[in-house]
Amino acid sequence: MKNFTLPSEELMGSGHLGCQGCGGALAMRYALKAAGDNTIVVIPACCWTIIAGPFPYTSLKVPVLHTAFETAAVAASGVRAALDIQGNTETTVLAWAGDGGTFDIGLQSLSGAAERNENIIYICYDNEAYMNTGIQRSGATPYLAWTTTTPEKTPKAEPKKDIMAIMIAHRIPYAATATIAHPDDFIRKVQKAKSIYGTKFLHVLAPCPPGWKAPSEWAVKLSRLAVQTRVFPLYEVEDGERYILNEPKEDRALPVSEYLKLQGRFSHLTEKDIQAIQDLIDKRWQRLMRQVRESS
Amino acid sequence: MTPTLTGTKKVVTGNHAVSYGAMLARVQVISAYPITPQTQIVELLSEMCANGTLRAKFIKVESEHSAMAALIGAASAGARAFTATSAHGLALMHEMLHWAAGARLPIVMADVNRAMGPPWSVWTDQNDSLSQRDVGWMQVYCESNQEVLDTVIQAYKVAEKVLMPAMLVLDAFVLSHTAEQIEIPNQTLVDQYLPPYQPVYKLDVNDPRSFGALAPPDVYMELRYKMHQAMEEALTEWAKADEEYYELFGRRYGLIEPYRADDADLILVTSGTVTSTAREVIDELRAEGRRVGLLKIRVLRPFPAQLVREALADAQKVAVIDRNISFGMGGIFAQEIKSALYNTHDRPPIFGFVAGLGGRDITPKVIQEIIEYTESHDEPEDLIWVGVKR
Amino acid sequence: MKKPIVFTSEREMPPMAVSLADMGHNRTGSWRYLRPVYREKIAPCKNACPVGNDIPRILSLVSEGRYEDAWRLFRETSPLPGVCGRVCYHPCESFCNRKNFDEALSIASLERFVADACFDLEDRIPERPKRSEKIAIVGSGPAGLTCAYFLAKDGYAVTVFEAASQPGGMLRLGIPPYRLPREVLDREIELIARWGVEFRTNTKIGQDISIEKLWEQHDAVFIATGAHRGRALNIPGEELAIQGLEFLKAVNVGKTIALGKQVLIIGGGNTAMDCARTALRLGAQPVVVYRRTRDEMPAIAEEIEEAEHEGVQFEFLAAPVALRRLNGKLEVQCIRMQLGEPDASGRRRPVPIPGSDFIMRADAVLKAVGEEPELSFLSEHVETSEGIVIERAHGILERAGIFIGGDAQTGPSTVAQAMRSGKETAQAIKSFLRGERKPKPKKLEEALRVNFSYFVHQPRVPMPHMPVAERITNFSETKRAISSERARAEAQRCFSCGVCNSCDNCWVFCPDAAITRIDGTYEVNYDFCKGCGVCAEECPRNVISLVEEEL
Repeated sequence: MKNFTLPSEELMGSGHLGCQGCGGALAMRYALKAAGDNTIVVIPACCWTIIAGPFPYTSLKVPVLHTAFETAAVAASGVRAALDIQGNTETTVLAWAGDGGTFDIGLQSLSGAAERNENIIYICYDNEAYMNTGIQRSGATPYLAWTTTTPEKTPKAEPKKDIMAIMIAHRIPYAATATIAHPDDFIRKVQKAKSIYGTKFLHVLAPCPPGWKAPSEWAVKLSRLAVQTRVFPLYEVEDGERYILNEPKEDRALPVSEYLKLQGRFSHLTEKDIQAIQDLIDKRWQRLMRQVRESS
Repeated sequence: MTPTLTGTKKVVTGNHAVSYGAMLARVQVISAYPITPQTQIVELLSEMCANGTLRAKFIKVESEHSAMAALIGAASAGARAFTATSAHGLALMHEMLHWAAGARLPIVMADVNRAMGPPWSVWTDQNDSLSQRDVGWMQVYCESNQEVLDTVIQAYKVAEKVLMPAMLVLDAFVLSHTAEQIEIPNQTLVDQYLPPYQPVYKLDVNDPRSFGALAPPDVYMELRYKMHQAMEEALTEWAKADEEYYELFGRRYGLIEPYRADDADLILVTSGTVTSTAREVIDELRAEGRRVGLLKIRVLRPFPAQLVREALADAQKVAVIDRNISFGMGGIFAQEIKSALYNTHDRPPIFGFVAGLGGRDITPKVIQEIIEYTESHDEPEDLIWVGVKR
Repeated sequence: MKKPIVFTSEREMPPMAVSLADMGHNRTGSWRYLRPVYREKIAPCKNACPVGNDIPRILSLVSEGRYEDAWRLFRETSPLPGVCGRVCYHPCESFCNRKNFDEALSIASLERFVADACFDLEDRIPERPKRSEKIAIVGSGPAGLTCAYFLAKDGYAVTVFEAASQPGGMLRLGIPPYRLPREVLDREIELIARWGVEFRTNTKIGQDISIEKLWEQHDAVFIATGAHRGRALNIPGEELAIQGLEFLKAVNVGKTIALGKQVLIIGGGNTAMDCARTALRLGAQPVVVYRRTRDEMPAIAEEIEEAEHEGVQFEFLAAPVALRRLNGKLEVQCIRMQLGEPDASGRRRPVPIPGSDFIMRADAVLKAVGEEPELSFLSEHVETSEGIVIERAHGILERAGIFIGGDAQTGPSTVAQAMRSGKETAQAIKSFLRGERKPKPKKLEEALRVNFSYFVHQPRVPMPHMPVAERITNFSETKRAISSERARAEAQRCFSCGVCNSCDNCWVFCPDAAITRIDGTYEVNYDFCKGCGVCAEECPRNVISLVEEEL
């Protein structure tokens, strides 16, 4: 009795350099299963720079272009243009960037690519900090989280940047969220993205056990809880307008504390802090529900 | 050479000469961001893409940094890639210039030499391109619109041979916005000269490889060694490419060009459009019977040190005009020449002149003053500011 | 295994940092300090089942509609699924992991469903070598029947001696037919007989045949005579009360008993419940008198509920102190009790409240305060000269080849416990006859860590009952069968704890692509597994264990 129906093709090889329980590695494995072997991956500076393996090796069975931190979307645009002019419109070009490369340093080139509606899939695997450099805060770091640059005494004072809203505002044909705990949903979304012309954006929550200060075996569990607590709802937006909610469907969500309490990066939170986070989540959820209602 | 393969004469600006060069090179992916004084290059290329005279994808990016990044993607996927920029645009590209060179991508770019701000200036000097001297790009300084066009084509020839990117440089306004009659070479002949780009390694789903992964210390240095080897090889390749071009099109430029320098006691060293002015001055002085000559540096990277040594071997004095300044040291061409000659015997004294920054005219009179200053002084000076109101 | 690439010269290197090989040389298994291993565990239901029914696998078959396969799997561990599906106190359900998620599986009703669905099926009896050893089993209750079944399956010649006219022991005599229809019992005994078991009824040990004789004529003897002797109240006028078990036996063999309207039942165990409900069906208005409260009643909770449901009355915290006959009626003098300190059984001790005596009147009083084995047939000779001790832990009378089990050994217990004893004794007899030591039972790790994320809430299928008004007029079975659709739906609720059902989760969630699927099973590639533990965490049914690597 299968819980999931994953394509059997394995395009991410073993021996990669991801940490134990790396959410980003699992995300790549799903993404490539969905995208298939006719895919070129563009990777800016991020954990995957390391995970993919050093010269002269690669852990992926598809071509990989490593590029500078802020250039995932535009380097992918260049690859796309080169393929198109050479008559190859079939190969999928997949930009694969972390949260820093997406929310922060790469936002300009991503915005440019989205505005030009480049025919690429852009997946941001979001581990909510600069993990590769040692857990520094990024624009994707959640409210009140600890990082090495937001110590417990002054945890991150700002909420996470709403990257989905930014991308949706570009009116790109497809934007969606996904997690590693929902492989079928993830794969369906990548495949759907593949079938659409233009810029497709996937925001994937990819837990980082070392960075989140959680046991490695909880990588998937944390992703699941993020959805169940509405910290990270799964939804899709077509043409910047049509909102579709995937998960959680239940009217009642788990309290956010269920998610926070498993992570060391939130261990300093007081009851009041947790309530503040809960309020943020509730507000965002209500907005999302309004958007879903208005577009249905 | 059959008549049908001759080119056509056309009066064009230096900027448009760049566009025609790119068109004839059949570039496949262009990515650029507008900046004065480069805009005409990309405007004409846009026209060409729009009307079908050039079959290329033009990615109109949101910054020069992205322009270069896009080309890195494109060239990695096997496309012939082109861009043009200037000054701050080039500076913004800096990181990606390293990337293109390290990735061994034969991207060609035109840089319209413009002074760096602040204060804002749109006029010419060489500080923008020389700031990128050490990124691993070949740099070719052009003197005329014809040379600009021809250099675009030659640059691809050499770049694709040695797998290093190339930047051709033309002076803002003096070339970029000045029209001259040039020959637009015949496409068939250009195609013969420059066959399609066929990289050994490229992003290819049938031969999946990664490009640009982390290189640990045990391999990094070898990869850098190979870049330098490629630059050394490029010296020969530029000469070969130039000769081959001459055979097909009747024009050649050399890596350096000595002008009436054989028996010269004083040799003036220039680059870019100053060379044309200097030629006039040399001719006049020669007419007066003075033994002065000229050396044009066309290719700065790879630096043709041996050729420069030979060209300057018999000179009694050398005067270098730099339209640039390395603050705290002096003119950059002068430094290059000095370092090239340092390990030779009986080297001539070298006078370093800095002139024409931020688009100030370097007139025949200025050049004549430089020659006369050099002639009248026995001890060489590293930095002589020309025309500064003090 | 792949080897790393070593460049000895720059000439061997490509011009740029282009990959030449995959990461197969990089054996990340060396990072691991916890090793995931596929180690199927015993489901708590199966572990709790006295006869060890393989419940997860059986339910899996049911969920697929493979009822015959399910039935045959039941019969590998138990000869009485039809009986157990009705009368077992189903400890399996008490331990079901699902109870922590929504509600426990309705395992008993599924067992009954399978048995009913396969009522006409026969065991496939294979050709097997006949063994020369003869075994006598005394008593044909659940212990005796089970022991006979397992010995006969192994080719031993088994004779079962039964004092009553029909085999079944307490199943037939003690349990009323509204809980266990006789055709179900008859059918399952018939199937045991098919294996070559000989039943000698109307043969009472110590009366029709002596234990010595049996011992002489057989290679092993199993005493499974049950616990039939009702305990005494030890109060004045006790002789006026009827032994509850005797009352049940009489009714159950079809005798007509007139109790009258008002019937008091003394006691709070299963016999008391059976007496009350049987009396009810005979037209009486039974009242159960129990010295503690409902919470301390030793009867199976479900039986108490059923009794209440059917209209049986209860008088808690009351104990009889004397019986008298007065004007054709019985007068029971009771005393009020209160609960004191807990006793050895953990239940709070009933303490009489001085001066609280009161009178209850009745047409009949049934005493059901427990039973004990009647073992007077074990002669002195056997007990003493051979130095035989009843070794309670194993139920073996050492050396003699005489074994004892079931209620005869333990005192009154459940059907399932009696069956476990019968089954274990069968194994002990086999070991004895082969001169071997009894094999030590394997200690299995229980599957207790179910990942609830992979299951959806689904209410337990309710067991349909006959309406009370209808059932108290006769002895028809009160519980009704569930439908095939409901059975399958219910079986699908099973978590299959500890049993890999090829759900793929481990393969799906491996961040290192270090798990391979091979025909529905999985293999960890320890060259690459980093030991993150995600597979174990995400295994829905606790099949994967993480064990520490040796340094």
